[in-house]
Parts: sequence; structure tokens; C-alpha cells
Amino acid sequence: MFEKIEMLRMARAMGQHTQARHIEVARNIANADTPGFRAHDLQPFAETYRQAEEGGTLRVSNARHLDAPQWSPGGARVIEVAGPVSPNGNSVSLEEEMVRAAEVKSSHDRSLTIYRSGLDLLRSSLGRR
Amino acid sequence: MTDQISPLRMAASGMRAQTERLRHTSENIANADTPGYRRKLVAFEEAVRFGRTTGEVQAGRMQLDQSALPRIHDPAHPMADQDGYYDGSNVDLVIELADAREAGRSYEANLRMFEQTRQMNGSLLDLLRR
Repeated sequence: MFEKIEMLRMARAMGQHTQARHIEVARNIANADTPGFRAHDLQPFAETYRQAEEGGTLRVSNARHLDAPQWSPGGARVIEVAGPVSPNGNSVSLEEEMVRAAEVKSSHDRSLTIYRSGLDLLRSSLGRR
Repeated sequence: MTDQISPLRMAASGMRAQTERLRHTSENIANADTPGYRRKLVAFEEAVRFGRTTGEVQAGRMQLDQSALPRIHDPAHPMADQDGYYDGSNVDLVIELADAREAGRSYEANLRMFEQTRQMNGSLLDLLRR
């Protein structure tokens, strides 16, 4: 039962990460022709999630203090994409961004599918179809 | 998804900026043979609101290309001076066509992004619909 809830939490974190990354990709594509604009991306989800896991729980002076949430989208750093820079100082490559957009779409679908099957499991454990 | 920084807004701003660029390009092409016409240029810049970039893009102020106008020899032309020369336009059709292509390509990329955002929103709402 609790593993399933952990699974839902992880799926939700993945969805949040995907959303933040989607915003970065949209920003890059909108600024594909802006002089001096540098392309940005988000740290991969697996890396940041593992870091949050390894970071462990906060030390508390009282057992009733709230624990820190496991993962938040703020935990993933925005990184600058290394790549060729055009003469006007812009480093966005539309092709790269298309690949990134496809990745975003597939990981969004994946997180939703995992979330939905988790809900299905809960529902069937309650005896509903 | 519908918060202040929305991918839909960014994609829409990109399409708006590219449309404006395409408009200037088509003005240049239409006036490629107008005597004394200087080609129009727009540079894109990041939109800033309350001192912070919003991720949206906008077309900056229109500028005129200050490069020298070509002197064309045609004594029969009504605007020719006593030496038989008049000022042509500094529009280069090849550059304008390449510019138009690039604008179209970027517009399409933004449109794809718009479509994808809508799809992702839709599949998110499908969770509720069950």
C-alpha cells in the first residue's frame, strides 16, 4: 500500500519536472531568433530525484515538526546548454529543441500513465472496477 | 499549467514576433525596385516585465538599413540626375528570401510547441474525466 503511494508521489514529481522543462523548451523556441539568447535546459529528473533521496530527511528537534517534502521542481537546476553559438550570440538549435520537446511529451505521458495505473490499483484494491 | 509563465503564452509571443518579421520582409520584397527605399530591419528581444524576463519574445523597434544605396545608371529614368544616375534600393532579394524562410521555420516550431502544450493539458484533464 505504502509503496504504491510512494509510486504516486514519484509520478507526480516527474510530472512537475516535465512541466518545468516544458517551460524551458517553450522559452528556447520562442527566442530561437533573439540575439544574445542562450538556450537553457533542466537537470535530468533521475539525477535530481536521486539527490533528493540521498539528501534524506531534515533533522528535527521535535518529533512533531514537519518533514521536508521529498522533491520539488525547484530542486532541479536550470543549466545552460553547451552548443554552437551563431554570430548573433544565440545558441538555440531548433532541431535540438524538437528532440527535447518529444522527450518532454513522452515523459509527461509516462508520468500520467504511471499515475493512472496507480489509481487503478487503489481502485481495484477497494473492490471497484 | 495556466500560471503566469505559460508555454502557450511563450509560443504565441514567438508566433507574433515572427509574423511581424515576415511582414517587414514582405514590405522589403515589394519595394525591392522602389528608388531610394531602405530595407527595414527588426531585431528580437526578450520581453521584460517588472524588471524580469518573462520568457516571451517581442520584436524590437524597426530600423532602416543604413548601408549605401546603389547608384544605377539609367539616363531615361525620370529621377536621374544630370550624370544619368539615380539611387536604387538596398534590398537584396536573396537575403529577404532567406529571412522569410527562417521566419516561417521558427513560426512552425512555435506552432508545434503550442499544439503539444494543448495535447499535454488535454491528457492531464483526461485523468479527471475517468
